[in-house]
Amino acid sequence: MLPPLTPAGTRVSRRTFLAAAGGALAAFGLAGCSPAGTRPTITFHQSKPEAVPYFRDLAAKFTESQDRFRVLHDMATNLSASFVRSSPPDLGCLNYNLEMARFMERGALSDLSDLPEAASIRDDVLDLTNWYPTYAGRTSVIPYSVMAASVIYNRRIFAEHGLTVPTTWDELIEVCERLKAAGVTPIYGTFRDPWTVAQGLFDYTVGGMVDVRGFYKKMHEIGEDVGPESEVSFQKTMLEPVQRMVQLTKYVNPDASSRGYGDGNTAMAQGQAAMYFQGPWAFGEIEKAGTDLDLGTFPLPMTADPADLKVRVNIDLSLWVPEVSNGQEGARAFLQYLLQPEVQNPYNAKFLGFGTVKDAPPVTDPRIVEMQKYYDEGRFYMGASQFIPNTIPAANYIQSIIGGADPEGTLRRMDADWARLAFRA
Amino acid sequence: MSNATRTVPAEPTTSGPITAGPAAGKRRIRTGQERTNWPATAILAACTLAVLVPLYVTISMAFKTTGQAVDGNAFSLPSPLSFDSFVQAWTLTNFPRGFAISVFVSVTAVIGEIVVSALAAYAIVRNWDRRLFRWSFFYLLAAMFIPFPVVALPQIQLTGLVGLDNPLGVAILHIVFALAFNTMLFTAFLRSIPLELEESMRMDGAGTWQVFWRLIFPLLGPMSATVGIFAFIASWNDFMMPSLIISDPEMQTIPVLQKIFQTQFSNSYNVAFASYLMAMAPAIVVYLFTQRWVMSGLTQGAVK
Repeated sequence: MLPPLTPAGTRVSRRTFLAAAGGALAAFGLAGCSPAGTRPTITFHQSKPEAVPYFRDLAAKFTESQDRFRVLHDMATNLSASFVRSSPPDLGCLNYNLEMARFMERGALSDLSDLPEAASIRDDVLDLTNWYPTYAGRTSVIPYSVMAASVIYNRRIFAEHGLTVPTTWDELIEVCERLKAAGVTPIYGTFRDPWTVAQGLFDYTVGGMVDVRGFYKKMHEIGEDVGPESEVSFQKTMLEPVQRMVQLTKYVNPDASSRGYGDGNTAMAQGQAAMYFQGPWAFGEIEKAGTDLDLGTFPLPMTADPADLKVRVNIDLSLWVPEVSNGQEGARAFLQYLLQPEVQNPYNAKFLGFGTVKDAPPVTDPRIVEMQKYYDEGRFYMGASQFIPNTIPAANYIQSIIGGADPEGTLRRMDADWARLAFRA
Repeated sequence: MSNATRTVPAEPTTSGPITAGPAAGKRRIRTGQERTNWPATAILAACTLAVLVPLYVTISMAFKTTGQAVDGNAFSLPSPLSFDSFVQAWTLTNFPRGFAISVFVSVTAVIGEIVVSALAAYAIVRNWDRRLFRWSFFYLLAAMFIPFPVVALPQIQLTGLVGLDNPLGVAILHIVFALAFNTMLFTAFLRSIPLELEESMRMDGAGTWQVFWRLIFPLLGPMSATVGIFAFIASWNDFMMPSLIISDPEMQTIPVLQKIFQTQFSNSYNVAFASYLMAMAPAIVVYLFTQRWVMSGLTQGAVK
């Protein structure tokens, strides 16, 4: 049963083991000596996948253009963990949202208002950061790129059926009815992915009817008293838009509940539906299929007055420098480099973003050009789903409404969740 | 120790037709040429599809062009055959460096888990009559009930404080978190090794270290292989720990680097699958060469 105890065999295996261990340690030691050089390294965190090669290139260019700093492009580090460890990236270039605002609210991000570039940002765009909790007296975040989102539509399908872009709710329903009668799927739904419902149908319908900022401001003031009797509440304020949202689901593809975001992009690329409730990020995905398309965008009309039309925006990329960063000087230098018009404008043109500075050139891409007017006039809102803390599974609640749950009951539950969260805080 | 009694070879009674029952007794005569169980084979063959179909999609996707990857036909064969995804995945993740870091973490975790757990198990089993060792075993077992996510935040701070926010720290954490389960496996296996073997070696003048390295550790071979393979798979595929612990983006492991291929807003199926394929290869190669030991190790551990 037992292997013979040959001394030679044992010695070899032991030596092999030691060699392996030694080799592993040596490998680690060598890996530690990466060529850092003498200049301080600036960690630049940016993780929007499609833009990674672009920013990596910019970081390399900046490193070459001067001899004081080396910029290290970071796309992999966990942001929360790095803050916990007190070693956050020196410069962040990320989507600005409720999660990110937590760092700002607690004063983890340094004040950038003394930079001349901070003054060049459009006031109403800079003000978007104030929709979220803020840290008094600081400009901690500089918006770099804004994404405007509205209904994506297939111009050729519209033209084939002699349809024009609807500007009122009744026109929208008429467009849907006529497409349906002609055997065309009016709207492509991807209800398997809850976020597509929340950021698409829900945000567009709510944003077109409700003053999102004012609503959440009051919701925070009322806090734990949110309920059927309060001045604003999900069950009262949002009921009408949500009912209209449910009405629109009559016009989606029959298999919408089993279709995800990827399927939706493929279907739109193949011209299977006339309208798609997604932001411009979907254009990049639709484009991958390489089909010949003519797509455009229009704000979802929710009222009888065309003057009420608005587009949904979000701060797709924002720049910030953490308070505890060791390389603030270098981070600011790179931030200023990124904000130069000849660096910022090409980025926005390439990735379908809207410029954030006062003299930013208008967008030229035919797919988003129709939204420029609304952006210039400040007729925009941020998505209502983006202001609900992740503790409340809002996207799933909204998905269940689409799936047939009672809108009133579900919205009532969201109110109860909101009140409970406010009570706990 | 009751180990001595267990060295008696198993009685031949167990190999008789006891389990088959009286009715099935005759069938057992044709030993060595058992009939193929066709229904079971068919079911098992169907079950292999659960692995083979996704694997096929992975491989065919990796060789597709971006346009073909999103055309909605996952099962179609790639045409034209494109190696572009591999090139993209290679440069986007800086594959050689990420691969080297992943190998370092896995090798350190495998060696460390085997050695540390074997030593601990040996000390515990041979000193079972002492309360300190007995209780330390229970103490170690208790750690099995603490998963990493629960203590993730303090671990991030601790590793940051002591300068272990790097691949070495991840390897050490892997060793420590697996210690409980591995020690349990080794102790169960060690109990079946007769004390007499050790005594005869000691009689010839061997010390404890010599006994361990020359006798016990080689005998633990099959169990070490099992522990090693579990350690390799766990550390090679791990996402959460390196993503939280490693602070230098240039020292990140392959699974973490790969996350850029799939986000909420974008999917690069072909690049992602090419990258997964490259990252998967070592695990499959390791398994092909060591599966013999895994299987024997599992049964050895089960029978004691």
